[in-house]
Amino acid sequence: MKSAAPQRAANAPGRRFAVVLLALFLLVPLLPGEFWTVVGTEILILGLLAMSFNLLYGYMGQISFGHAAFFGLGAYATAMLFTALKSPDGSIGVPEFLLSLLVGPPVAAVGALIVGFFCVRLTGIYFAMLSLAFGELLFYIVFSWYSFTKGDDGIQGLLPPHYFQDPGNYYYLTLAIVVVALLVMWRITESPFGYIMRTLRDNQRRAAFLGINVRLHMLANFVIAGAFAGLAGALWGPFSRSVSPGLLGWQESGIAVFMTLIGGAGVFIGPIVGSVIYTMLQAVVKMYTVYWPLTIGTIILLIVLFVPGGVLGLVEKQIKARQGRLSDGGGARAGSDEE
Amino acid sequence: MDIAPYALQLFSGLSRAMVLFLLSAGLSLIFGVMNILNFAHATLWLVSGYVTYSMFTFLSQQFGASPWMLLPSIVGAVALMSLLGFALERFLIRHTYARELPEQLLLTFALVLILGDAIKLIWGVENRRINLGVKPIEMMDTLVNPYQFVIIGAGVAVAVGLWYFLHRTRFGKIVRAAVFSRSMVSALGIPIPLIYSGVFALGVGLAAFAGGVFLPLLPMSLGVDHDIIVQCFAVVVIGGFGSMLGTFVASIIVGVVYSFSILFWPDGALAMIFLILIVVLIWRPWGLFGTELRY
Repeated sequence: MKSAAPQRAANAPGRRFAVVLLALFLLVPLLPGEFWTVVGTEILILGLLAMSFNLLYGYMGQISFGHAAFFGLGAYATAMLFTALKSPDGSIGVPEFLLSLLVGPPVAAVGALIVGFFCVRLTGIYFAMLSLAFGELLFYIVFSWYSFTKGDDGIQGLLPPHYFQDPGNYYYLTLAIVVVALLVMWRITESPFGYIMRTLRDNQRRAAFLGINVRLHMLANFVIAGAFAGLAGALWGPFSRSVSPGLLGWQESGIAVFMTLIGGAGVFIGPIVGSVIYTMLQAVVKMYTVYWPLTIGTIILLIVLFVPGGVLGLVEKQIKARQGRLSDGGGARAGSDEE
Repeated sequence: MDIAPYALQLFSGLSRAMVLFLLSAGLSLIFGVMNILNFAHATLWLVSGYVTYSMFTFLSQQFGASPWMLLPSIVGAVALMSLLGFALERFLIRHTYARELPEQLLLTFALVLILGDAIKLIWGVENRRINLGVKPIEMMDTLVNPYQFVIIGAGVAVAVGLWYFLHRTRFGKIVRAAVFSRSMVSALGIPIPLIYSGVFALGVGLAAFAGGVFLPLLPMSLGVDHDIIVQCFAVVVIGGFGSMLGTFVASIIVGVVYSFSILFWPDGALAMIFLILIVVLIWRPWGLFGTELRY
């Protein structure tokens, strides 16, 4: 790619921001009390879910209302292996624990392969509807298949090994896994494959004229996104000590959509910034009032009406405007096909 | 063979189908004309149920309890909710026409959260229902609530009325033309913004009617709207966007399949609906009665 150098230059503020964000995340467990460490873990896990959703929405241009199904599949796969591997007294060794985490992504990826096979035949509202229908179908299967999934009760008692029962240690484990996952995602979105995704988002017909196998590429991306959602799900079970069918429902998918749009779908780290805003706000607001839906609803309303690109979209626009003034539009244009 | 349980399920399935139809018809009209998928439609339906409840209680206190008080309550709720719909379109929805689909979905979903909590603030968390004190009648060896026939009758009447409105009146013809080509309608000098507000108000009005009519049969409770809205999406997609006949047929399919599934798979009755939705979307994404053109 010839344009790599100016792009990298234009992206420098983004990189600096990501490093600052990581540094802040590293410092969270140093805060007094366990509250913010627990909130931080939730931010990371749900942020990973939102990041995986944005592979479909921000990069491929399709909105999925069933994405949480893969989050739930990963969570259940981990929870079931976890339950099978733990000893009768309820404790589990570290290798067995890590093994049960590993099983989440592949199971979710297989689910995404089956669902995606059908979904990628459609676009726009029909893609959204079909993903919603599959998500709800999986939800009701998990909900009603009592003998296999324990149905409504969910699976309880997912107590991680003693070392990871400390919120700080579990937080750093989650942070390490999420950072590696995001680096892999960044690689994917900046690869030729990632640029094919942007092409599919902007104009599928033209992409097909260029000889791109549209459905195959969409399916590959769907499976990748599903696997990352499954990884987030795998981390969720031992974090909350239980899994329940609600993890697969469309309301859970909605949370990923909210976070992505709050943070900004057009910026790579937008969804995780959205997760920081959403989850922290939720933690604080719930301390004072039960009317959390009213609060978040109003915030979303204001964001849709007044901050269409999300928080980071707004920041990016400011930065580009400044760069544009400095270099008479050249820098801004080079950066415009970035993200 | 004992047909009693089946007859019971059929009637409850049909009355359920009427509610789904009344909601989905509005949803389909709004989507057809404005390309807005209104997530808040079922929540507006729920709000109108609570409004009808309050009006009914108020009227019963003022003029003595009587099942007939339900009629003015429903009329009042429909009028009030239509006004609310008109205002919502004017002040909120209108600003998103030029936006992308997810942002529109998000705006109406924000309304779901806001209105849901507004219900909690105004009416609290208890379920609300009206007891009309209608005696069940004996039919086919079983007891049937005759009010179900009122619902089925009202649903069919509205369906016929809607058909007449869309095909035989001037405003209805303009609405159908707007579904087909907005810019052409606008070029003919018809005030499109007014049509938009009117259609949104009409859709919300239909939902409000459903909310009021259904009140004596099913208690209104928080969170029901989340279940109903996805079923309405299923109905609209199965029937085909923009097709009233399709919406009507799909409502009956979904309503009846749901109430029969309850007999043999209580927890998974809704799964059956999503299975049908998946099959239809894969087999003919434009729906049973939709046209390939609009797909």
